[in-house]
Amino acid sequence: MSIVEVEKLTKHYGRETAVNELSFALEKGTATALIGPNGAGKTTSLSMLANLLTPSSGTIKMDKKLSVGFLPQHPRFFPWLTALEFTEMAAKLSGIESKKARIQAIRTLEFVGLALALQKKIGGFSGGMKQRLGLAQAIVHQPKLLLLDEPISALDPTGRREIMNLLKLLQQETTILYSTHILNDAEEITDQLLFMKDGRLIEQGSLKDVKKRHADPHIRIRFENRSEALAFAGRQLCRTELKGDTVLLPVHENHPSMQEVLQVLATQSQDIKGIEFQSASLEEIFLKVVAAK
Amino acid sequence: MNQFFLLMKKEWLENIRNYKIFWIPTVFVLLGITEPVVNYFLPQILESSGGLPEGAVFEMPTPTPEQILIAVMGQFQTIGIVVLILAYMGTIAGERKSGTATLFYVRPLSFSAYFFSKWTLASIISLMSVWLGFLVSYYYTFLFFGKVEWVNLLQLMAIYSVWVLLIVTFVVTASAVLPNSGLAATSAFAAYLLLQLVDGLFGMNWSISPVKIPQYAADCLTSVPDNTSLWEAIGIACLIMVVLFGIGIWAAQKNKAKTKV
Repeated sequence: MSIVEVEKLTKHYGRETAVNELSFALEKGTATALIGPNGAGKTTSLSMLANLLTPSSGTIKMDKKLSVGFLPQHPRFFPWLTALEFTEMAAKLSGIESKKARIQAIRTLEFVGLALALQKKIGGFSGGMKQRLGLAQAIVHQPKLLLLDEPISALDPTGRREIMNLLKLLQQETTILYSTHILNDAEEITDQLLFMKDGRLIEQGSLKDVKKRHADPHIRIRFENRSEALAFAGRQLCRTELKGDTVLLPVHENHPSMQEVLQVLATQSQDIKGIEFQSASLEEIFLKVVAAK
Repeated sequence: MNQFFLLMKKEWLENIRNYKIFWIPTVFVLLGITEPVVNYFLPQILESSGGLPEGAVFEMPTPTPEQILIAVMGQFQTIGIVVLILAYMGTIAGERKSGTATLFYVRPLSFSAYFFSKWTLASIISLMSVWLGFLVSYYYTFLFFGKVEWVNLLQLMAIYSVWVLLIVTFVVTASAVLPNSGLAATSAFAAYLLLQLVDGLFGMNWSISPVKIPQYAADCLTSVPDNTSLWEAIGIACLIMVVLFGIGIWAAQKNKAKTKV
């Protein structure tokens, strides 16, 4: 069941088109990664979903009462409030009743790892702490839809890992749409991928489908020298590609398998220096798709 | 209503923690003290700064206590108003510009609660400051120049309060409508000067012009004010405020798209 359906969503700024006929759906309980180069329209799209911006045309179909949490790319806070005061206020503004709001705020701040900073003024927070607080205000009212704009891009590797782990926990309870350009991390918590470029959606689908379409798997065999590689390639029936002293055998639907290749190699006399199975990472797929369209 | 009180609490904390609640009254108290004190010590001040040329005959009439209080109001009208405009020009525009408002705007926020929380707190602090300024100056005027009936002082303060509220409403609305604090302050101040100018040049017979409210307030001390005109002017001022409320709430909602994400 999809909880959000976006259809031909478009946003113009004067003559510029920031988002151009974007259509996708978010299934309940899934995590969707919105991926694209800078200026692709990711933030604008998320802002429209968060009801900050009005679309120029197109529709966003979602329940009016659906509770939404939003973490901007660079969340900004009132420096003179404490973390607890702010989070409690955020909970109340989202409609949580007074008595529950405080408990909920404390619990959430503990969850994001700010248990020791409850009573500290936000003005003294580091960048990483602010990002955690940003996440806390986005989830304090237990929203059904969580929108995160570059939640991990500004963090150091340790912080990034910790936030990723939190997101994995959240993924079990809520629907997440997040933008990112750190693709190796995205791979861990993604059910659906949306690639954007120049305001348009250029590729979408499940991680598995996208990989299937673009991963271009092959087996890579490196020989002692080029003539040996040439000798091996010449004797194969399937299409091969020769790169220096290396032969690339494309794999289609698990064929040929490593097993089969090894059997063939066993019967031949060439000197082999290495053999490996290779498929494009999400990052390589992204670069390829973005360059192509 | 819940949101209104919640946001009021936030404004309250803000005004305490960035010391607005202390420095705005301080300005008005200082203005209130300076006028009577400087007037009282004027002869000594002239003496110590070299005195008058030999042979100059200079009759210095002692001002009446009423004149001193009206002069204090004159100070509030210039320096005081500028301070209020500068203090509250960013109350909405500044939050949008810095992006602190974003985390509020993505929630089911009532923009009338949002607008009125800001207006109410700005009004409370402005009125307290003005009243405190008048009371302090009343005390020093009493010490140095003599007594003014306190009933008259209360009348003056009550009528002048309407004018202060009008100014505060204008600033908060300008802050909701315009993209940044600087523009809000400039437009509020420009409107203030322009209205004074127009009223001064052409408004001799516009007895119901709200710009004349401070003048009516001053009249309470020296003569009996024209009650009909006064009430009509106050009525017009209230009408303008209601219109400004509408514009302010509408603009605050419409401009939420301009908040920094």
